[in-house]
Amino acid sequence: MKWPLTVAGLLLALAAQTALSLVLPREGRLFDPFLLVVVYCGLVFGETHGMLAGTAAGWIQDLHFGGAVTGLQALTKILIGFAVGATATRFLIAATTTRFLVLFAATLLDALVFERFALVFEVPASEISLAGLFGRAALNAVLGSVLFQALDARLRQGVRA
Amino acid sequence: MAKVVEARKSRLLLLALVVFHLVIISHQVDAGGGVSLLQKTAFTLFSPLQRAVTWAIRLVEAGFHGYVSLRGVRQENEQLKGRAAALEVELERQRRLAEEAARLRELLDLQAVLPYDTVAAEVLARDGTPWFRSVTIGKGSRDGVRLQAPVVSPTGVVGRVIGVGPKAAQVQLLLDREAGVGALLERSRVTGVCAGQVGFADQGQTDLLMRYVPALADVAVGDRVLTSGLDRIYPKGLVIGRVRSVGPPSGLFREVLVTPTARFDQLEQVLVMREPVESPALAESVR
Repeated sequence: MKWPLTVAGLLLALAAQTALSLVLPREGRLFDPFLLVVVYCGLVFGETHGMLAGTAAGWIQDLHFGGAVTGLQALTKILIGFAVGATATRFLIAATTTRFLVLFAATLLDALVFERFALVFEVPASEISLAGLFGRAALNAVLGSVLFQALDARLRQGVRA
Repeated sequence: MAKVVEARKSRLLLLALVVFHLVIISHQVDAGGGVSLLQKTAFTLFSPLQRAVTWAIRLVEAGFHGYVSLRGVRQENEQLKGRAAALEVELERQRRLAEEAARLRELLDLQAVLPYDTVAAEVLARDGTPWFRSVTIGKGSRDGVRLQAPVVSPTGVVGRVIGVGPKAAQVQLLLDREAGVGALLERSRVTGVCAGQVGFADQGQTDLLMRYVPALADVAVGDRVLTSGLDRIYPKGLVIGRVRSVGPPSGLFREVLVTPTARFDQLEQVLVMREPVESPALAESVR
């Protein structure tokens, strides 16, 4: 169940990112649907699956929306998937507010880790301002919390049925 | 016990994945190239999905424009709203077709005067992350698109191809921080390098930074900036933009801000040059 769900999530994320880039080219850059998939996988399926989902999500981002050097976003998302998964196995992260905080922190971590890697490998990537970074984190956290809630409800319905 | 083994396995997997990616990234940084096989596979797998989404978005946009027009007509004339709406929708469709035809005509005009073999391509997706400025186009190696191929629009230079699949390719825009193009001021023939600006992606940096312009060089606001051809990627004489401001001298050089003429946020069709650039100067008519 978890792999079909992850693959569907990643394909939906690619479709959402493509659509957003056409409709809202500037604002669309602030939303990261791939991060939502990685965080959800880490939260629900644990660190190993979070890591693997992070690898797949990062590679899709690298190859479709990345620069000339591929692998940087994959490496970042692996660490995010692992960190979220490891946190979820040690703490109870089921409430919407806790998930909001995890999503918020994961978005900040994603940007910081990516920018550090870009610096280390001397890949000239653009940066995000502090306001933009917090805006991105808030947007991902709000949309992610709502989507996670809806997905959980849907999955519970499926289990009951 | 099982939990400990599981935790150890996941840490080993993390280590393996991190080392694997570090090796891949380091190899690319050293070699300066992409992972062509992976890129080919990814483009083959995912470009149909992106193509379908692009098609759906265009369809929804067309429907939405039609709906907006319909509402305006309904307010204007209650009695004739059905007929007027249909006409309005048709007019909108015609207008869009005319706009598209004009865009394609511009592209064809450019294609006719460019002394290179070019192929027109539709933009399938624009940049999806704040870190890089790139677009995905709907033509790939099967159409003769190759790595490093220059990409232009009727209004100016767009960028270069950095990833190719059989039916799609990734184009790095001039606005990307990693992009660079040899530049030449048309009036004073001063050369430099134009690149994406160091700045915050979310604040919409749309100007290019021209570096290595001698401090004593004759530069004025409004000067036209062309490709110099010295980078061996872009042919000489294509329009990059116009000088927006001239910075104060810093040592031997000064920095110049250039507003690109290509409208990066509105790109729909572009031309990809298929032959390697031998850098002949373009005819005056191309400029």
